[in-house]
Amino acid sequence: MRTRLPRRVRIVALLVIALVATPLISLLLRVPWARIPSILRQEFVTDALVLSLTSSVLAAFIALFLGIPVAILLSRLDGLFASVTRAVMMLPMVLPPVVGGAALLFAFGRRGTLGSALEDASGVVLPYSLGGVVLANAFVAMPFVVLTIEGSLRGLDSRFELAAASLGANEFRTMIKVVLPMVRSSVIAAGVLAWARALGEFGATITFAGNIPGKTQTLPLAVFVAMETDQEAALAMSLVLILVSLGVLLTMRDRWWPAR
Amino acid sequence: MNRIDRPLLDAHIVAERGDLLLQVAIQVEQGEMVAIMGPNGAGKTSLLYALFGWLPIRSGWILLDGQTLDAPGEERPVPPYRRNLGMVFDDGLLFPHMSVEQNLRFGSNTKSLDSDLADLLELTPLLSRPIQELSAGQRQRVALARTLASNPMMVFLDEPLSSLDPSARAHARDLIKAAFDSHLAGGLLVTHDPADAFALADRVMVLENGEVSQFNSLNVLSTQPATPWIANLIGWNFFLGFARNGTVVLANGSEIATSDSALQGETTVAINPGSVSLFLEAPGGSPRNSWYCQVSDIQFVGDIARVSLTGGIKIHADVTKSAAAELGLRKDVAVWASVKATEVIVQEVEG
Repeated sequence: MRTRLPRRVRIVALLVIALVATPLISLLLRVPWARIPSILRQEFVTDALVLSLTSSVLAAFIALFLGIPVAILLSRLDGLFASVTRAVMMLPMVLPPVVGGAALLFAFGRRGTLGSALEDASGVVLPYSLGGVVLANAFVAMPFVVLTIEGSLRGLDSRFELAAASLGANEFRTMIKVVLPMVRSSVIAAGVLAWARALGEFGATITFAGNIPGKTQTLPLAVFVAMETDQEAALAMSLVLILVSLGVLLTMRDRWWPAR
Repeated sequence: MNRIDRPLLDAHIVAERGDLLLQVAIQVEQGEMVAIMGPNGAGKTSLLYALFGWLPIRSGWILLDGQTLDAPGEERPVPPYRRNLGMVFDDGLLFPHMSVEQNLRFGSNTKSLDSDLADLLELTPLLSRPIQELSAGQRQRVALARTLASNPMMVFLDEPLSSLDPSARAHARDLIKAAFDSHLAGGLLVTHDPADAFALADRVMVLENGEVSQFNSLNVLSTQPATPWIANLIGWNFFLGFARNGTVVLANGSEIATSDSALQGETTVAINPGSVSLFLEAPGGSPRNSWYCQVSDIQFVGDIARVSLTGGIKIHADVTKSAAAELGLRKDVAVWASVKATEVIVQEVEG
């Protein structure tokens, strides 16, 4: 039993919820339901949908794979060095994505710090390619991985590592068999957050990978373009984004907060 | 060099943890179990961590069966996971994402699951259970089995029974003893409970404020306690006997009446030396436990005189210095020792 919710708190909360829901409902009211099948069969829409899903899933896995070691390192560090490192790792989350995309160009562009060496060595050119889309998405998604996983690693009782060592497990085996499985739910949560961020990514993608239909034009970019040319198509694609995101949030709810 | 001659563990360590400066020399013989006792914050767990390599030592050495584990300035310390030391924690620390069996198989030396060990610790019916479904006692048994299954040369037990209720403790103690006798070369047991030390340990090391204040058999600790803390905590009298209708008969024929008239069977008895009263004449009234004894020794610790008695019963009594002077106590003086039945603490030994 709890004390009664104060009435003004309840009223304000309900108003805010209505306010957040209004734009979404307005959008739903305008969706041309009858035309949806034909719109979604258009080539640039299917291309954007497939591209978005592939690149966001790939980016989420890459962000996880690269973010976990960083999270482990940061969870063991304290002091100024740790604070600076953590701030640098968090930057892509705070920066305007356009700035992130520009920074990626200076690093991985054809004349970028690493990009020219990469092209010389392997012939791989990242900007304006599918690889560029994935890189831009992973870049902005990684902070979510580091933040989420570092938090739960810090909350873990370090004596579990001692227990594993006392059973003869070396540091790597301890990490793989004990530590990471024990923070499994936040690894999954981190992956989903990263994927959600990647799916909605716009600024860094358009700056670094451009807006080439069928090649680098993801769903958000296609919606942006369609708003100028074919609003009904924009609405239909927005509907797809809303449904996919809502579906994931609902299936993952037990991972983030206890379901009631 | 004869393997049996050298100690299992030979360590001399100086280490720091927070404000505590730990300075300890310890030797454990082959097959020996040493209890480590001491007040809170005395450095008991820190000592285990230092021996493990979890807490760096500043100077000294740690030798396990003649192998150097750590000797600052001479060799690189052996990492914890290669020290061949097992550890059982007060709360078990079972891996929550694994079943009982997966926990038992985790150890890197655990080739196949030792079914004798699982049987001995009564775990066979639990093997497929998730950890979350186990009781505190079951968790503790799994933790012990997990450690023993990995075949360590020596095991550290950090208050392994503290999470159990008193009725489960006696049983767990028996299981630990059985498992140790069949599976282990030696161990260290951190405990708050003198009964654990009494039941499981060959010798007791008392740590106070990071230093060893006494390291000897429980018998010597109770007859010649080096500090008031030892006198208070370890000075208890322990007896093993057979109860019939509430009266415990000891091996030498002495009888101890208890307040529990339903008590039957094999029983341990604990009596606080402070509860033993001494009289020059047979006490009047009706304390049912009165024994005619001779003083065999008197030790003074602070304001307390610890009087060791033989005769009707072998027991220690703590009286004040002034009471000892009034009674004229000295070696070979005859006195009556008496204990109220309500001051006798009993515990039935299970199966």
